[in-house]
Amino acid sequence: MMKALLLKEFYVASRTCRSFLLVIAVFFALSFFGRNSQFFFLYPLTMVGMIPVTLLSYDERDGWDKYSLTLPCTRAQLVSAKYLIGLIFGGVVFLLVELLLLIGLSMGGNFDFLSMSSALLLMGLLGPSILMPFVFKFGSEKGRIAYYFVLALLFAVIAFLIGMGFYEYLNGFSWLVIGAAVLLYLGSWRLSILFYEKREL
Amino acid sequence: MNALEIRNLSKSYPGFRLENLNLTLPSGCILGLVGENGAGKSTTIKLILDIIRRDGGSITVLGRDNRENSPLLRQEIGVVLDEPGLPNCLNPLQIGRVMAGIFTNWDSGLYEQYLKQLDLPQNKAFGTFSRGMKMKLSIAVALAHHPKLLILDEPTSGLDPVVRDEVVELFIEFTREESHAVLISSHIVSDLEKLCDYIAFLHKGRLMLCEEKDLLLEEYGLVQCSAQALAELDPDAIKGRKTTPYGVQALVRREGIPAGMPVSPVSIEELFIFMAKEAV
Repeated sequence: MMKALLLKEFYVASRTCRSFLLVIAVFFALSFFGRNSQFFFLYPLTMVGMIPVTLLSYDERDGWDKYSLTLPCTRAQLVSAKYLIGLIFGGVVFLLVELLLLIGLSMGGNFDFLSMSSALLLMGLLGPSILMPFVFKFGSEKGRIAYYFVLALLFAVIAFLIGMGFYEYLNGFSWLVIGAAVLLYLGSWRLSILFYEKREL
Repeated sequence: MNALEIRNLSKSYPGFRLENLNLTLPSGCILGLVGENGAGKSTTIKLILDIIRRDGGSITVLGRDNRENSPLLRQEIGVVLDEPGLPNCLNPLQIGRVMAGIFTNWDSGLYEQYLKQLDLPQNKAFGTFSRGMKMKLSIAVALAHHPKLLILDEPTSGLDPVVRDEVVELFIEFTREESHAVLISSHIVSDLEKLCDYIAFLHKGRLMLCEEKDLLLEEYGLVQCSAQALAELDPDAIKGRKTTPYGVQALVRREGIPAGMPVSPVSIEELFIFMAKEAV
């Protein structure tokens, strides 16, 4: 069942999220050629984190949100498909980011790999973790306001933190940050299931 | 066995109430749910499919409570909604691959056969299909996992007469098997008249009647007379009336009308319109 739901998400994402690929490629290029620019990686991670929310908007537009409830799957499975596809796409981009960080480090980059990775992971998971429960509770129409608000807020916070050089403060807390990011995503997943099971469509 | 039994079903929304609905759909039969927009047809269907929570009553589908492991129960139900709801960017082949992983009884051969029979292209995105093609694909999906019960919410609305005829033919074919049953809601009463064994009228959330179609057509008729002549008839026999330039046209129960009075046959559509207007 999950395989089929993921296949559907993959088909829809491969048709509708192509522009994300371009943006991600541009930011990767910028981070590669820019100076002290590891934080450019945050943008592709944030973008890819929004794919599940984008997929939910397409589901509503197509009527799949209502139709899928008539299929022999549970609401928990429908929610999980979105979180898993987020993890799959996010995971691929995160691995690419890690690879580029390692290349940057080998080329004499001046940053701590672990604390940078943990900060990127946290910021990448923050957006979808906050937004998805909203969208599962209120639908993407109402959730769209939250979507743009959280997106703008995230980018502002990222820009501010870059200016502060915040990741240096995370030295020594990296594993804690990774744990918090994972817990945040799992908590959001559970909350979305609870919301969606109670929602009447 | 009854494919569907609904007892004292109720559900309230702000401004709408479905009250004490009782329906029975025997296996091998087609039950048409007729009602104006907002009568409660879609609400009833959502309650049967356990998409929304009922306030009271019980629903038994294929001999089981519909809330008892509803995903398993839905393996045996084919559903077509007014808005087909398949992803617009997927083509029929991709939809088939997804459904093969969702339905344990998915029959890829049968699905391909329906695609050919209904003249549907395999590699064109669903979003580019006409309304008729979308509906046909959604019916093919509903049928390709060998369901025992088909639940169809306005499947013929917006279709041209040729496609409607094709679609109605598919449903008739489906009920040739005795263990199969169809619940179909529509406000296009003429389609239901062709198709159904039983007819249920819903009006403003209340069931006005649920009977065998042939019995209904035998039981009721239309009389054309003057207002004065109508006033002399048994008021209990008159189920609806309409004033025309030539007098009064009334829907009557044949058994309550004096022998010899000319009573013409009534169509299901006329029956529904008369009853709905009388109930306002």
